[in-house]
Amino acid sequence: MAVTTDAIRVEDLKKHYGQTKAVDGITFAVQAGEIFGMLGPNGAGKSTTIEMIEGLRQPDAGGIEVLGLQQPREANAIKERIGTQLQTSEMYPLLSVTEIINLFRTFYRGRPTLPTEHLIHLVGLEEKRDTRSKQLSGGQKQRLSVALALVNDPDLVFLDEPTTGMDPQARRQLWDVVRDMKARGKTVLMTTHYMDEAQELCDRIAIVDHGKILELDTPNALIHKFFHDVAIEFADGATDVATYQAMPGVINADVANGRVTLHSTDVPRTMGALLAREGDGQANFSDLNVRNATLEDVFLKLTGRALRD
Amino acid sequence: MVWSLYIASLKEYLRDRMTLFWTLAFPVIFIVIFGLIFSGGGGNTYSVALVNLDTGSAGAQMVSAFNSDSAKKYLSVKNTTSVTDQNHYQDQLKAGKLDMVIVLPPDLSQHISAGQPSDVQVYLDGTKQTQASIMTGIVTSFVTSINNTIPGRAPLLNVAQVSVNTTTLNTIDYLVPGILAMSLMQLGLFGTALPLVSLRERKILRRLGATPLPRSAVLVSQVLLRLTISVFQTGIIIGIGYFAFGVAIAHPLTTALIAVLGALMFISIGYLIASIARSQESANGITQAVNFPMLFLSGIFFPLAALPSFLGVIVKALPLTYLADAMRQAMINSTPDFPLTVDLLVVVAWMVVCGFLSVRFFRWE
Repeated sequence: MAVTTDAIRVEDLKKHYGQTKAVDGITFAVQAGEIFGMLGPNGAGKSTTIEMIEGLRQPDAGGIEVLGLQQPREANAIKERIGTQLQTSEMYPLLSVTEIINLFRTFYRGRPTLPTEHLIHLVGLEEKRDTRSKQLSGGQKQRLSVALALVNDPDLVFLDEPTTGMDPQARRQLWDVVRDMKARGKTVLMTTHYMDEAQELCDRIAIVDHGKILELDTPNALIHKFFHDVAIEFADGATDVATYQAMPGVINADVANGRVTLHSTDVPRTMGALLAREGDGQANFSDLNVRNATLEDVFLKLTGRALRD
Repeated sequence: MVWSLYIASLKEYLRDRMTLFWTLAFPVIFIVIFGLIFSGGGGNTYSVALVNLDTGSAGAQMVSAFNSDSAKKYLSVKNTTSVTDQNHYQDQLKAGKLDMVIVLPPDLSQHISAGQPSDVQVYLDGTKQTQASIMTGIVTSFVTSINNTIPGRAPLLNVAQVSVNTTTLNTIDYLVPGILAMSLMQLGLFGTALPLVSLRERKILRRLGATPLPRSAVLVSQVLLRLTISVFQTGIIIGIGYFAFGVAIAHPLTTALIAVLGALMFISIGYLIASIARSQESANGITQAVNFPMLFLSGIFFPLAALPSFLGVIVKALPLTYLADAMRQAMINSTPDFPLTVDLLVVVAWMVVCGFLSVRFFRWE
């Protein structure tokens, strides 16, 4: 038998709720040591997929292999070796951070757990170690739930929107935790609402919508696959898309909330046309910004909606 | 794992002031209020019917003793010699219009002159412990003084107490076992269903499900915690009953056994509610719907005989009826509404059936 180097293998996974096909035939593999991201709008099926891999939900059809073990037959052995962070981060409200972490450490009999103080330090909750969980802010609860996912020093950790509600500093700190996991040869499967986060952290990304994987590749490959161009953004009261679409070099124009995004393959000519319009007094640009395309653009193009709709 | 979960839940419980109040302080307040209302002051005279069925001298001597000035300090006595009147007075006793009926048997004088012992029968409500012991004490002291006038070796007259179930308003003796049963119920209902549903609603159960922790560990630790609390609850209620109002426990071991069985029964009913309820609100609604009929129709605050007979079917369907009856029998030797074995069988049956159903239908998310 071939030794698998995949931390996760998912084969034609399906889960239906009544008429809704929450997960509609998803197949992918996550390599050991990889940071793998799942992006998709709310209701795309990311969490359902993750929870089936974790063993929290039973799939209607499809095969799941985690760390070389079969789900759900070897669910208990899998649970010893994985770490789980759910989207909901409520915990025993009247127990303190330290008490909750200590409690979770007793759940893992099969392997050594990380020291409580180390976990608290990892997620930066030192000042809140004796605070009861109901008094924590949303972001702090989120950090506690990340700490709980790391209690058993897992080989594979699932982070479902781990940075939602965190302030920028806490987000950076969490990114360090994730990078540190990778450096120690661990595997991370995460979902996120933040494109910059995915672009920054993930080795590969699956874009998911309507229960299917639309695209799966590295962040840069995805951007280059869909955009050979540069984005020009500005605010403009006039919202006539057709005018912009007709400008030289423009391959795509979007107008949303009075903000225009032009994708151009020929920036000098497009800019020339824009400046000419302003010179004629036909338009008034402000807040002009020229940048390379990002994952956000890829996402918008693929799903037709913004990530945080 | 069970132990650490148990400690964690115990901390949660002790830090939740509301639950602490409802499960520990509330029954105490209940007992103190009822105790102050019903324990009654001393110095009352008791209304007594003296039925003299004896035609000899011993009976006459007793009658004059009970009608003496020293007796009038404690007793207001109605005298009769007819069996018809005896029946009438015993009905009055059951209706609470009399405190005691003393019967001197027909062959009293004969027995004494023959040197044979004889019983003076005292009918009273044994559940009114304090009152009952005072009254038997008074009767015994008169009987002893007459015994001393009879020449002979051993006392020939004995006092035989016959306990009668009355429909009077309850005294604290009657109430304490009922309130204990009620507290076990409320702990089982409010203390089990609501926290479990809340753990489920906040997805904490689901998060625990993502760890290697076996589900049985969650259940076992929860049951152990409720049992611990019920031990404290029982101790506090019995302690207040005993020290503040002098309610003694007739059979401590049986009482303890019944308390544990009762707690387990209501814990399993609480689990069943948690299994059925879809949300915190519905759990609350179901719990109240179970709580209220039992509170008023299980003979906790007034005896079953005082309830209109058409409610009998409901009364007999409620598990608290049997638990309270068993508790009264064990604690104050009350006249059984049902045989103790029936009470215990019903309690165990409810426990097993609800326990089975909740294991079968409990949803983790």
